[in-house]
Amino acid sequence: MRSYWFGDVEDGLCTPSGGDAHAKSDRIRLIRTSMDTFVPPDWELAVACGACRDRADYIQKLREICFAAAERDIQEQYSGKDAELLQMVRTLDEMDTVINLLTERVVEWYQIRHPTFTRKYRKTPAHILVKNIREKSRGALSFVAGEIERLSATRTELAKAVSGRANDVMPNTSALIGGLVAARLMSHAGGLSDLCRMPASAIQVLGARTALFAHLRTKSPSPKHGIIFQHRRVHNAPRECRGKVARVLAGKLAIAARIDHYRGVADPVFLESAQARIDLVGKGNDP
Amino acid sequence: MIWIGDVLVSHGEGGVYSERMLGNARVWDPFRSKLAALYHEGTGVEITSDTRVLYLGAANGTTVSHVADYAEVVYAVEFAPRPMQDLLEVARRRKNIVPIMADATRPEQYAPLVETVDLLYQDVAQPDQAMIAIRNSAFLRPDGKMILMLKTRSVDVRKEPGVVFKETVEALVSAGFVVQESLWLLPYHQDHAAIVCTKPEV
Repeated sequence: MRSYWFGDVEDGLCTPSGGDAHAKSDRIRLIRTSMDTFVPPDWELAVACGACRDRADYIQKLREICFAAAERDIQEQYSGKDAELLQMVRTLDEMDTVINLLTERVVEWYQIRHPTFTRKYRKTPAHILVKNIREKSRGALSFVAGEIERLSATRTELAKAVSGRANDVMPNTSALIGGLVAARLMSHAGGLSDLCRMPASAIQVLGARTALFAHLRTKSPSPKHGIIFQHRRVHNAPRECRGKVARVLAGKLAIAARIDHYRGVADPVFLESAQARIDLVGKGNDP
Repeated sequence: MIWIGDVLVSHGEGGVYSERMLGNARVWDPFRSKLAALYHEGTGVEITSDTRVLYLGAANGTTVSHVADYAEVVYAVEFAPRPMQDLLEVARRRKNIVPIMADATRPEQYAPLVETVDLLYQDVAQPDQAMIAIRNSAFLRPDGKMILMLKTRSVDVRKEPGVVFKETVEALVSAGFVVQESLWLLPYHQDHAAIVCTKPEV
């Protein structure tokens, strides 16, 4: 028997498939076609089958089914809880970029108005600087500085939301490395299902693409860490065992991501043993 | 193919991606579309109002919309949900596009939907592009044409594009295809090659 979108054909006899476009698109999913013996569908056969009137009707009916199937599949792809987290964390990272750019620009602007102002030998954090600029300036400059402050406040709120959502969507990964960094890893991988299919070695250097390809192409040393460097365990580790911490942490993250994707709940036993192992390596007294 | 002077155009409803118009003809920009680049740099395949096309890697439907202006019907296969949303919108306005959300590496997924076609066009960012083309040639009629847009960097970034190109052509030839034309799409697209071939008559 050969099954097509419009029906089943056996010994020249055709049984049209019933139901509306949605029912038909669901049916197509269940059809198993072997490409070795495949004979493509034929519109004249579909007409003979009573599934459509003519060539134009054939295409139109087929289109209806394909639209229904595609809309259903898109919906399914987006229904994963990680889809929104992905947009949230990417928005967050882009806000950081925008805030930094605007801050740099506003300081440049301020320096034109106050030729004696310089950032040399000052330890003023950027957000205090922006606040000062807003208070000490008038007109558009003050206005822009105020806008940066509002953006920063939004950014803080968003960061909290990302962290909270990450704890929910990827509890194990978040427990090991923090919600924000976990979400960034997921964003770089392209989604939780993509992250959980990655080998630990890939997770270790996620976000270090330039260094990785420089290493693959030339003889430069391989990157030790990418995004996971943002975690205190990696950047606080003594330089000589940083690579090792990154490697062990990535290994545990790979497992955590798989538990998150396939089970979706925190695994205390795994987390405890993973934390212990990472701590041990981090102290530099790994046997 | 329709040319106005040395500008490639197609006739259809404009405004798909704010493309430039020449009167009521839509300018088909070789810098944006690899297929347009092929028509500029090489011969390509003539698409006419009775050509049935299977288009793998339809993406946002930019090139697809031009192909649909020429062809009888275009089966447009795309895998990722985000570009698929755009493709659906293009397909809603062009009644001869059949949008299919599926993975081109698994033709059995959409086999019940796709009839025999005259032209197989492939532009996918996958490692094994020759294999995808060969597997999908089940939809191609004997003596039908295939245009493979080879993204050499998707096959293997570490390999020389020239080597990838040669290997792909060899794989197609050993699968029985007769290569008609093969060229790099410079200056329009870096590290991209076009391979035009014919499926042998059985």
